[in-house]
Amino acid sequence: MTTLPPGDGGRGGALTPVVATATSGRRRRPSGSPPPLPWRVERRTQVAAVLVASTLGLGVAMSAAPVLRVVTSVDVAVLGVLARLRVDAVTRVAEAVTAIGSDAVLRTAAWVTLLVLVVTRRWRHLVVYLVVTLTVAVLVAEVALALGRPRPAGVVILGEWEGYSFPSRPVAGAALVLVAGLCTVVPAGRLRTRGAWAAALLVAALGGARLYLAVDHPSDVLAALALGGLLPLAAFRLLTPDEVFPTTYRRPTGAHLELSPARHGAIVRALDQQLGLTVETVELFGLAGSAGSTPMRLGVRSADGRRTDLFAKLYAVTHLRSDRWYKLMRTVLYGRLEDEKPFSTVRRLVEYEDHMLRLLRDAGLPTPAPRGFVEITPEREYVVVMEFFAGAVELGAAPVGDAEIDSGLRVVRKLWEAGVAHRDLKPSNLLVRDGEVLLIDVAFATVRPTPWRQAVDLANMMLTLALRSTPERVYARALRQFAADDIAEAFAASRSVTLPTQLRSRVRADGRDLIAQFRRLAPPRETVSIQLWSVRRVAVTAAVLLALALGAGLVASYARVVGWA
Amino acid sequence: MSMSRHTRTRSLAVLGALLAPLATLGCASGAPSVPGCTSVTRLAIVAQSVPGAAYVPCVAELPTGWRVTHFETQRGRTAFSLLSDRADGRAVDVRLAGSCDVQGATPLPPRAVGGRTYVRLRSISPQYAGAAFDVFAGGCVRYVFDFARGPHIVLMEEMLAAVELVPRRELRLRLRTQLGVELDR
Repeated sequence: MTTLPPGDGGRGGALTPVVATATSGRRRRPSGSPPPLPWRVERRTQVAAVLVASTLGLGVAMSAAPVLRVVTSVDVAVLGVLARLRVDAVTRVAEAVTAIGSDAVLRTAAWVTLLVLVVTRRWRHLVVYLVVTLTVAVLVAEVALALGRPRPAGVVILGEWEGYSFPSRPVAGAALVLVAGLCTVVPAGRLRTRGAWAAALLVAALGGARLYLAVDHPSDVLAALALGGLLPLAAFRLLTPDEVFPTTYRRPTGAHLELSPARHGAIVRALDQQLGLTVETVELFGLAGSAGSTPMRLGVRSADGRRTDLFAKLYAVTHLRSDRWYKLMRTVLYGRLEDEKPFSTVRRLVEYEDHMLRLLRDAGLPTPAPRGFVEITPEREYVVVMEFFAGAVELGAAPVGDAEIDSGLRVVRKLWEAGVAHRDLKPSNLLVRDGEVLLIDVAFATVRPTPWRQAVDLANMMLTLALRSTPERVYARALRQFAADDIAEAFAASRSVTLPTQLRSRVRADGRDLIAQFRRLAPPRETVSIQLWSVRRVAVTAAVLLALALGAGLVASYARVVGWA
Repeated sequence: MSMSRHTRTRSLAVLGALLAPLATLGCASGAPSVPGCTSVTRLAIVAQSVPGAAYVPCVAELPTGWRVTHFETQRGRTAFSLLSDRADGRAVDVRLAGSCDVQGATPLPPRAVGGRTYVRLRSISPQYAGAAFDVFAGGCVRYVFDFARGPHIVLMEEMLAAVELVPRRELRLRLRTQLGVELDR
């Protein structure tokens, strides 16, 4: 993976050791040592898992009469002490506090959380939320049914109760909705910390009130806290870690990762050890134009003390999954656009982008010079590094004259000659510097594309240029590099779905019907259908429809099981 | 890389430990766990639902073809349903409460010492439908049935044989012996 330093080409001198080098810089990660950012389960999550397992173990053990007798005697002793402290005023307060665990309150909190997750489109949180609430609800019900523990005996019960005693269902429900709500709706930081204290206070008040009223045993409440509080906490930490799936209301779209101190340090270390780069600054850069990765600008100090900038893209599993879902939905809606095959791993995705950068550079395309990639967390996070186009501005924001139009069209011409299609030509992927159009973000480029795909590239380039000019001018310049029939084919193939999202929205915002204007300028040509039906598309569509139907059924039964309906 | 494999294995183990109980759910979530007459703890919660009831209903042994379809208990009442495969999907609803309205009901030989048993028919043909009552000090058990005419004689016998009444004082003694706690205080 390491990009080796330029040697002396065998012109004499001692050879620089590579594998044996142990000093800072260009040091490969030795086999067996931890990666820059190891993926590990936090200690507190492990402790939570152990406590949940212990609770279930206690439940099993309590099915034996001697164990139940011991636990019950301790429970009743505690309840006896509490019962002796009863006074009317406190009893009234305790009765009021039990409303925290009422079905109406829990149901409302659960639905509000669900609504927020849907509105903010945090689908991963939503899925984990549903799975966790279902798991806890069913687990609590099954444990209660399996053990069949009565309510406290030997103490006068003052409050309302329903069902078996162990674990306490209202306490588990309150802990569940509060923990799940905090983990999915409240952003990490001071707000969540304060929320956690408030939640702890509420659950403690509820548990205390139920003990005071002798509705539950102390062990019922503790078991409920473990199943309703700790289990969701551990599950959310494992399945929606904040550093990967942050709860934030600032950026509603995109799959960008947080540049946490741990990740920042890991990136700097990895670039040092695997590429020999002395990185001084790492900052997020150009987030608005990138949804498929987390783009960064690196400030690098070279051996001679000069400071240069490099561009880097952080890829993670979340980007890979987004890519899979995106391609799956396109397969269903529009048919297979010839080669919408998702990447199998993050590593493959990064390797591919690095490869494409090298291929396009060799073909003479104005793309960033590749600088290799580094592994942050094996099979989970990688950073691909390339040249930073200093002084370049986005084509969508630059003045566009004949020079820029010719340069942009030349890019497409060279892509055709190289037998490559970019597939994501849009304003944010085209930069301008000194009248030259530069091409970035080649992750989705494909070698040996169909003529249809090449035609779409041409249409997207012409549309992007026309946004800052006029269709007539772009068309006239295009005729210098492309046959009129090729341009006609490009706009016969072009339609809403073939435009990248950013380009589509800018064309809409522009107000001019650019595609129609280009079609009028070009020779008449019948439009190209993109609805490519295949066995795979039929099967995938059927599977998605089936999944939706099952999902609807599951949601209905789910609401009944967890008591939300 | 070995470290990565190690941490992944550990993570999967933790996740497995968290979600493993789900795998057992299918096994556990069969029929509702209605109190059998030998289960002291399950009988205790039925007794707790109606604190003054001198008797507690329980399912002694389900006759062939019968199953429990519903069970719920809360402060003030306990209810469960029994369904026979010969009852055309119409379950018998059994309910323990503090009192019953037995107006218009016909007395039958009592099923429990110190108690009284009644039946009140709503229909004889084509359905044999109505309610039976076991009334005792501090409570009563009501059985609502709706059988087809013909097999109704056997079904009524089986229903009443399936549900037994356990004296509260006996349950109190068993609970004290087994768990060392007092049922009523």
